[in-house]
Amino acid sequence: MSDDDPRRAAFEADVLPQLDALYRLALRLTTEPSRAEDLVQDTVLKAFRSWERFQPGTNIRSWLFTILRNTFINDYRRRQREPIPMDLESPESGLSLRAASDEDPEGTFFSQIVDEKVLEAIDRLPEEFREVLVLSDIENLSYAEIAAMVKVPVGTVKSRLFRARRQLQSALYDHAVEMGYLKPARARG
Amino acid sequence: MTKPRCQEALDQLDEYLRQELTPEHMARITDHLEKCRPCFSQAEFQRSYLQMIEKAKGQCCPDSLRRRVLDALRSPQH
Repeated sequence: MSDDDPRRAAFEADVLPQLDALYRLALRLTTEPSRAEDLVQDTVLKAFRSWERFQPGTNIRSWLFTILRNTFINDYRRRQREPIPMDLESPESGLSLRAASDEDPEGTFFSQIVDEKVLEAIDRLPEEFREVLVLSDIENLSYAEIAAMVKVPVGTVKSRLFRARRQLQSALYDHAVEMGYLKPARARG
Repeated sequence: MTKPRCQEALDQLDEYLRQELTPEHMARITDHLEKCRPCFSQAEFQRSYLQMIEKAKGQCCPDSLRRRVLDALRSPQH
């Protein structure tokens, strides 16, 4: 195929630089490389078909992420009956989690943890928490962009993010103690 | 921790650490962090966390997938 299709060329110029970000998000959502690859390909083809609906000047990554997320929800999410065994929105339900910042106020233990462990811990977060944390902290989308994508108010994005971080930080703190990277600040158990 | 300045600093810590606030706003929060130890600590913790997660982005798109996507885009049905 050597036809010079200008529409496709323009699309490729804008979208191909986003493949790393698309693959990262797909991997965190599906937690499986082969499904992540299929999801990325489906996303790019869908985006190509609806390319005219993208408004130049707006954030292309947000637009592609939205397509990827919708595709994931419609076609890839495993059927789960009651996926989240915890109350996601109530601020009180997070309080039983020990705040890692109380134990290591400077967060020095973070630098000891290998990337692979961080990703594993992210993948263990409930999906609603995981997607907000990945979109905000790894992909640097704004609260407003995330709110539009996930279709919840900005306040909900913030509270999910707060609780996702606490849960992740607490899991990583426990891991650091377990590995002997640091001593527990106080006796536990 | 319920003082208005603490509240402002903690509410906008993310934006502050990503340097997304106006220069005046940045300066106001820096000023507060220099004076308030609990907020300073929180900011340091958050900074360490964001640095860690910044590094832990994970894998890039594999070349094989890049080729697969390009092939699919350029196949006749599109």
